[in-house]
This record gives sequence, C-alpha cells and structure tokens, in this order.
Amino acid sequence: MAEQRSGSILAVDFGNVNTRAVLLDLVEGVYRLIARAETRTTVDFPAGDVRVGLRRAAERLTDVTGRRLLNPDGSIITPERPDRSGVDVFVATTSTGRPLRTAVVGLVPDVSIASSLRAAAGTYVQIVETVSLADQRTEEEQLNALLASRPDLIFIAGGTEDGAREPVLRLARLACLAVTLVQRGHKPSVLYAGNSALIPRIQQMFKGLTTVFTAPNVRPSLDDEELEGAQLKLALAFDERQSQRGSGFDVLGTMTSIGVLPTAQSYTLIVDYLGKALGGNVLAVDVGSAVSTLSASVAGQVTTAIRTDIGLGHSAATLLELVGEKAIQQWLPFVPAPGQIQHYALNKTLRPATIPETLPGLYLEHALLRAGIRALLEAARPTWLGDKTGLLPVFDRIIGAGSGLTRTGHPGFNALLLLDALQPTGMAVLQADPHGLIAALGALAPINAEAVVQVLDGLSLERLGVCVSVSGQPAAGRTALKIRITTEGGEVVRHEVAGGHLWVYPLETGRTVRVDVSAGRGLTIGGRTRLRFAADGGSAGLIFDARGRPLPLADTPAGRAAQMPLWISEVTGDPARPLEAPGQSDELAPAARSEPRRDRVFPAKSAARTVSPRGRFGRRTAPPPEPEAGDEPEDDTLSELNQLRG
Amino acid sequence: MLFYPDQRHMLELTTIRRERLLPEEAVGGVEVSEGALVNLRDVVASGTIPSRYVIVEAAEFFNLKQPSDLDELLQVEVGSAVDRGSPLAIRRNKRLLSPVSGVVAYIGDGRIIVQEAPQEIPLEAGLEGQVVSLVQDRGVVIETSGALLQGVWGNNRRTIGVLRLEPEAGLETIEGDQLNVEYRGAIVVTRRPLRETGLLVMEDQGFTGIIAPSMDASLIARALEASGAVMLTEGFGDIRMSNAILNMLNSFAGRQATLDAFLPNRWEARRPEVIINAPRGSARPVRPNPDLTLQVGTQVRLTRPPNAGQVGKVIHLPKTPYLLDNGLRARCAQVELVTGERVMVPLVNLEVFGR
Repeated sequence: MAEQRSGSILAVDFGNVNTRAVLLDLVEGVYRLIARAETRTTVDFPAGDVRVGLRRAAERLTDVTGRRLLNPDGSIITPERPDRSGVDVFVATTSTGRPLRTAVVGLVPDVSIASSLRAAAGTYVQIVETVSLADQRTEEEQLNALLASRPDLIFIAGGTEDGAREPVLRLARLACLAVTLVQRGHKPSVLYAGNSALIPRIQQMFKGLTTVFTAPNVRPSLDDEELEGAQLKLALAFDERQSQRGSGFDVLGTMTSIGVLPTAQSYTLIVDYLGKALGGNVLAVDVGSAVSTLSASVAGQVTTAIRTDIGLGHSAATLLELVGEKAIQQWLPFVPAPGQIQHYALNKTLRPATIPETLPGLYLEHALLRAGIRALLEAARPTWLGDKTGLLPVFDRIIGAGSGLTRTGHPGFNALLLLDALQPTGMAVLQADPHGLIAALGALAPINAEAVVQVLDGLSLERLGVCVSVSGQPAAGRTALKIRITTEGGEVVRHEVAGGHLWVYPLETGRTVRVDVSAGRGLTIGGRTRLRFAADGGSAGLIFDARGRPLPLADTPAGRAAQMPLWISEVTGDPARPLEAPGQSDELAPAARSEPRRDRVFPAKSAARTVSPRGRFGRRTAPPPEPEAGDEPEDDTLSELNQLRG
Repeated sequence: MLFYPDQRHMLELTTIRRERLLPEEAVGGVEVSEGALVNLRDVVASGTIPSRYVIVEAAEFFNLKQPSDLDELLQVEVGSAVDRGSPLAIRRNKRLLSPVSGVVAYIGDGRIIVQEAPQEIPLEAGLEGQVVSLVQDRGVVIETSGALLQGVWGNNRRTIGVLRLEPEAGLETIEGDQLNVEYRGAIVVTRRPLRETGLLVMEDQGFTGIIAPSMDASLIARALEASGAVMLTEGFGDIRMSNAILNMLNSFAGRQATLDAFLPNRWEARRPEVIINAPRGSARPVRPNPDLTLQVGTQVRLTRPPNAGQVGKVIHLPKTPYLLDNGLRARCAQVELVTGERVMVPLVNLEVFGR
C-alpha cells in the first residue's frame, strides 16, 4: 500500500537573536500548529553557523514530539518517512545578515525609480545608489558612483510596456559596464523589471557576466504599478547573496524547498491575507533586535516599512541616533543621568539578547521600544491609502511580534506596549506572535497556501484580547467610558472608566460577552459615540483605554512617574512599582560593588484611585499552550515563584 | 531543558582559530600556503581597494567610424600599467595619452577605461601560529594556542605589546614629563573607567594599547582616532573591571600579547580580544566548545545592572519563570556571587567564559 503523506511542515525563522521553529501537520484534515521550539541564533560568535541553532531547535522539537527531524549530517529529513521521522516541507526565513546593497537604475525619479524603491521597501534592502535620466552627473561620475557603492544588486527598471526602449538600454549599458569592471567574485547580480520587450536584450547584455533576474515591469503603465514579481525576485537575490556569505546559509538554502526568504516579506503576505479575509484594516509590527518591520493593510492596500536602523538589540544605538534622546525621555518617568540613555543603548547593542533587571532599565528599554515603533509609524504612514495625518486610522486587528513586544511575561503588559506605541483608535483585536509564526507562514505561502489559511484560522497567534480606545482628551477623574457587559450566563457588569485610566475586564480565551460602551461628552470611540458588539476573550482580557488619543503623556518626569506605573498596574493587575525617586536610577551603578543593590519593590499605594482588575476578578488564565520546547518558560505557578523568591 | 548561554571567552590556555580576511571591498590574494608558520607581523594576504575609473573616449578622439577600428591603434591591453601621459593609442601622428596613472581596466565600444592606481592593503597575521586553511582570494585561518580574553568593544586597532598593569594610583598618574620606559610600547591594563586623560597619556607615553573596563560614550570619537588600540571589557558608562578579568590579566603581566581591538558590527562573528601566545611547541590544548550549556555549577558572568560584571556560580536552575523586581517575568538562574550573595538572574543576562 502506498504511504500516505501527512503534509508535515517545518518552518524556521532565523532572527538576529532567536531562531524559532514551528512544526505544522494535518490534524483531522486541517493544518494545525503541533509544536514549536526556540533557541539562540548561532550566526554570531562562537558557532558562526546558523545550522547549529537549527540543529538545537530541531532536537527540541524531537524532545517534545518524539519525531526525529535530523539526518546524521545535521540536514533536515525530507520528505517524511513512514516511521513519521522528517517532514514533507522545510521552509526558512531570515532577518539576519547585511541587507542587500542595491543600486537602483531607472528612467524617471517619480515613476520607475519610485516604484523600484517601493518594491525594495518590502525586503532587506539598503539603497546605496540611484541613477536616472534626471541625474546631472556625467557618465563617468555615474559609473564611479555605482562602483563605489559596491552594490550586491543593480535593480534596473524603466519604460512602460510599449514605451521607451533606447533610454532604458542606455542606462542598462552603464550598469553592464559597471558589472564588467568589478572583479570576478565581487560582481553584483542584476534584477530587470522594466519594459518587458527588452528582456531578451538585457539577458544578452549581461550573459556570462553575472546572474540576471527578470520580473514583470514594475510600472506597466503610468497609472499602474506591479510590485509583487519584483519583490519575489528581490527575495531570491537576497537568498543568493546570503548563501554566498557563508555562516551556513549556503547549505541551509539547499535543504529548503524555495531557499531562505526574507522574514519581512512574510509580513506583507500575511497582512495582505488577513486584510482581505477580515475585510478591514490590519497592522502588524515586529520589533526585532536588528530590524523592525511594520506592515499595514489599509483600505485593501498593503504597505510594509522595514528599518534596519530600528531595533532593541543590535540596532539600539542606531535607533537612538535616529529618534534622538528627547523622543526617549518622553517615555521616561525619571530624569536620566547625563549619558544614561546613550550608555543604555550602546550596551544593549553590545549585548543584544539581554533584558533589563532594574526598574529604570525596564523603562529605558520600553522607551526605546515605544519610540522605535513611533518612528516606524512615521516612516510607514505616508504610504497608506487615504491616511490623513493625526490619529491612527481604525485597525480591526493589530499584531505585535518580536521579543520586546511579546516577552514581558504578562499579556496585559504586552498589550499596553502596543497601545502606548501605536495609540490605536476605536475597537481593535490585539494579537501577539511570540513564536515567529507569521514569518514561518509567509515562507510557506508560495508552497501551501491552504496550510497558511488553516493555521491562521486555527487561533495559532496568541489573542491578547479586544481593546476599546477613547479618542479626544478626557478630563482626569471624569467618566470617559460607560460600559455594560452581558456575560453568556446573562450576568450584567456595569463599569465606568475615568479619563486617564485603563480598565481590564478579565475575559478568558474561548468566552464571549456582549459589550455596550459609550464615550463621555466630547469624546469618541473611533469617530462614534457608542459601540455595541460581541467580544471574544483573550489572554489579556477586554481592555478599555480611557486615556485619550493622542495619548496625553505628562510633560514632566514627575507627571509620567504618576502615570506610567499606574497604567502598568491597571493592565497587569500587579501592584504599581514606583521608582525610588524620579531622577535617580541604578541602571548604571558600578559593577564591581561588594554588595550589589537590588530594586526595591513598593506595594501599590492604597490611595490610588485605580481599580486593580486582577484583584477584583482573580487571576487570569492563559489558553492552554501548545507543546513547546525552548529557552522560554515551561510552566507558570505562583507557588514556584514564591518559593524562588523566598 | 538545555540553555545555551552567550560565551565571552576568558581562558588561560586554549586553542584559538581566527580568520584573517582582507576587507570585503578589497581585491587580492593569499600570500602564504597552508601549514605555514606565521609571526604576528607576517603578511598573509594582500589586496587593493578599487579606485576611480576614468573613461577615455578613444573612438571619438580619432573620429573612428567603427568602434572596432580602435583595436589596431591600441598601444595597451587590459591589465597594462600606464603612467599619466603615456600613449594609449596612436594613429599616425595623433597620440591618445592616458590622463592618469593606473591600470587599463576595460577596452570596448570605442572606449578605454583606466583605473587610477589602487590603494595597496597588506594583511598581517596578527597572531603567532600556523595557517590551517586558506580562504580563496580573501585570507587565511590561523591556529595558535595561548590565553584568550574577549572584551565587548574596541576602537578597530590591532597591536602587539607587553602587558602591563597601571600604577596603583591609576593610569593618569603616569606623567608626561617623567620617563616611564616600562610603559612605552606596552598594552596597559586599567581597572578604572577610561577617561580622556587616559587617552592623552597613551599618546604621550607611547602605549600601544589600553585595556579598560568601560568609558563614557562621549569618548568614542576620541578613542576611534587614537593611534593605539583600546578595548573595553565591560561596556559603556562608569563600570569598574571585574576582579576575575583583572586577576587574569595580572597573571600575564610582563608577557607579550596581541590586542585585537575589533570594533563590533552586526555583520561579523568577531569580538575584540587579547591573546597571549603560549610558547611554540607546547602541547595543543582543546578548542573551546561552542555547545556549552548552562548547568548547576557553571561559572558565569552577570552582564546587566544591578550586578553587571560580577562573577558567580549557578546553584539552581528553576524550570519556571521568575518575577523580577521590575515586573518582567523571565526564566532565571540562581547565582551565588563571589561575595556569597545569592541572586536570581535572567538566563539571557549570563555569559560563560568558555571551555
């Protein structure tokens, strides 16, 4: 009897700090997340080879599932064998490595060059040179500029279909001359996505010189733009360059079904899918160690912004350089010592995987995170369809990814970071992707779209909950939101949230309630004064954010010291943790003290007006986790915590 | 469940393998063979950094009807070295002269392209050891044995010198007008954060390098311009050197060391480090194990405040996450510091010294 394939899939994302693996398989005819594992990425010292991390992650999956995934030589067993070892499909994505240094050559800055840049914005590309007909430099200067920029890829576009030919060829000849002059072994690849009638001549021109990728014209007409084909070829060029750089990517690429794709492209694909499936606006933001990505589907159009200078680890110092100290201070409830912010960012760049242990350190870390997301938003919003400046448009779904946004250890805290940084309006479903599922699914999409849809529909992303946010500036102490919640059992809960506060109704995943919420005078909920809806639960619960939009952060550290610990306490239910004294911090305390200090934890002040939702409604229970192996917690019990603390 | 902590090597005797590669933009070749024994200053590869190209419109100069007609007028070929003013092509009495000195890089389409004389880059071994493999056109892998201490930041200089500890009163007390022969050409270790005066003293006294625990970020530009090598062992800010590192460096005082103050960047799997070669011919110790896992009993260094730089021993590895005082919850190890104090530290904030 012929063996039946299960259609099992192993998808691995190699981040700059973490390598995340997910195992998907058919369960009763539907693809489900079977297990996941996480380990440190090993592209850096001392291993210097991503395959070491792959082996560790695969071994952990084996520990959890009992399923052998590795051949003795460290490669992944494909296809799946009758004894259930191996997988049918292995896909990989990565955000590690240097971005693809790309020179763009095109006819007109506002047309073909602009489209090329938009296509390039969907992957890890660093634009190092641009040459167009509008260029005032001499040909010799253009040639030297191209060569001095040391591109990995020359991206040529220009000419609409049935449009210009000779000017395109002239620019292509310049690119060809540049490729000719570069020594063997260093020659850039070429991507052509211009007038398709010229493809044979372009191929002939570069024949024997370098690899030529061709894609459909990015600008088939002045009114049309076609980026998808060029983006896929950019991904392949990225893969080709990665494999040439060693670090194990060369061998890894041969193990996978379609090479190693850029992680960011996955966000574009998945957000596009979700936008279409939900029929609303969707936003996903991933703040990594070295690279950050924000992908948004607005009015049916997806745009993705990738920044290699925004990150919480490797890119912490460049992030600070980008946003400036003021943008960081704006999120600090204390006065930083001179140089403190810069030292924090630099030390984070030197040790990117570390996490803060002190309270000032935590605020610094999250200030970088919030300011980084604000900068990403600023970069992304000009490309959103019909977006006006001002408040964020209503997003039906918001997904956070990356350790900084998903690994505080509390879903409410994770949600708060998203709310602070993005400042969503109206009602939004908040989700987290702590295990890099979106990256994995994006790589899978070209091979098995059905699996992607089924896994996304199967609640594989962590659902934090629903958030209702008030727009406008609610007066402190006055009612900003009136809430009426009707449970499945018919019980009615009424609550009023005062301006400047958050309130969480603990609604577990799997439970549903009816919500009737109205905004106070002069305020709206995404442009409406009243909303009635059925809400599903999540790990953070139902969040009502009555702080206002734009978020009225206090102008002074003392003011923020009154706000920020309170907000954290309101969403987590934990006691507020005020700083010992605003203006002081032990984050940079001397190292070699004989008696190291510890942060002091103060109980929440009883005078605080805030409601402690955790206290009122008891401990929230997270949905049962999938089997997991990795560097992350296995279990979660208070008694164990107390034991350790004692 | 296994946890693979970060490794920052502090090893008194180990086998060290290091790649020595030309810069990515350089074009060149390897100058030693596999198995060769090399000294610190030996050139193992050399290359050139591409320079400016000059386009000479030759067909236009001679008013040629066909670009191919240029072929019979040429006085040079691709690869020819030319001086400024030397003839590239001649037709009767008309001479096309090279506008620059360099190398003919391209001839075609009626054009001659001359590349100006490129910058030569010699790549030194930087280690005393044996070439164990070649990286085609780029460099070599050298193996040696000795003591190894890795830092966190460097100013992108490499130097060789005798390791010396600063005077008890500090680096700054080495006065400019007093003759301190002991420190001239030395790599000086300071246990205190590096100040601007420390960099000035280095220049005045002719140290070839400084190993310091930390420095203020405002000194980065200054350090990058310094002629000597600077390596930090802890980070930026006001952090003192951990006793473990100081003791190790102290034990090698007076020995010749190679300080590779590599400036970390995210694209290269390298770290700044100091290597003190073991005598040649001694038995080769084992190489560091990249697969070290965290175990009860493992010696660790704590990397984040409030205990940054402290050294201790793992005494417990709980399976569940621990609620830190700042509200984060993370998987931690219980570590007993050398002072006897026991602290909970996130696993990701621990480094091991290697083995």
